[in-house]
Amino acid sequence: MSEKTKLLPGDFAIWIFIFAELTVFAIYFVIYAVVRMQNVEMFNHFQLTLNRETGAINTILLITGSYFVVKSVDVIKQNKIKECYKFLYWALVCGCVFVVIKSYEFYMKFSVGIGLDTNTFYMFYLSLTLFHYFHVILGMAILLAIAIKAQRGSYDSNNYTGVESGASYWHMVDLVWIILFPLIYIIR
Amino acid sequence: MKKTDKTTQVWLTLILLTLSTYTLGYYNYSGSLVVLLLLLTAVIKGVLIIREFMELKGVSLLWKVMMYGWLVIICLAIIIAYTMSQ
Repeated sequence: MSEKTKLLPGDFAIWIFIFAELTVFAIYFVIYAVVRMQNVEMFNHFQLTLNRETGAINTILLITGSYFVVKSVDVIKQNKIKECYKFLYWALVCGCVFVVIKSYEFYMKFSVGIGLDTNTFYMFYLSLTLFHYFHVILGMAILLAIAIKAQRGSYDSNNYTGVESGASYWHMVDLVWIILFPLIYIIR
Repeated sequence: MKKTDKTTQVWLTLILLTLSTYTLGYYNYSGSLVVLLLLLTAVIKGVLIIREFMELKGVSLLWKVMMYGWLVIICLAIIIAYTMSQ
């Protein structure tokens, strides 16, 4: 206990929002696992129809996006403004590729007539991944707003709470996918 | 520089753990031990993100309990549900 307790990075309100979001996803994950108990064969069968390669690539994209976001926070603390928004734009590139790949995955399912009412497995797969997909888009909108503000010189080594808040939200999106990917695509 | 190097190490570890998860899925491995291994990997990845990326190292105990608790409770619930249906 010799170390002093550190404050949460970013704005406190964003952490309340992050925890509320995490709780909703947690409930969703647990319901998925419980419902699967009654439909193991069906869940195992339809899980094999998912594209694990795109799932894994998307995991790598989110992790890499998070890496760039960490770097952006790191450099703004050193007053390297240009580097900060450059890293944020790289994170946005990762987010864009994620969205393109995920949209392709949805298109492949919707184009063969698969929808929320196809079966219980697809209902969970589509609703959970769509819910997460919208969070990625929201995360990207936040990162874009911060990148533009950084480019306009609104942040520096004395004022970077906004960068930290956006970064924390983006990491939450990544954290949720870390559970979602093995749960929906892999574990059987 | 030291911090940047640590970030790169964490990123590389997360990539390698993702590839190990994908490999287990690729060979369609199943069973309680595989479920345990996959969720243990997810917990390690989650801890790395919370601790190193979200920078929650050193924050108040309440937030640590909330964040790590979120991770552990979900994974425990999944392990119990999957083991009971094996």
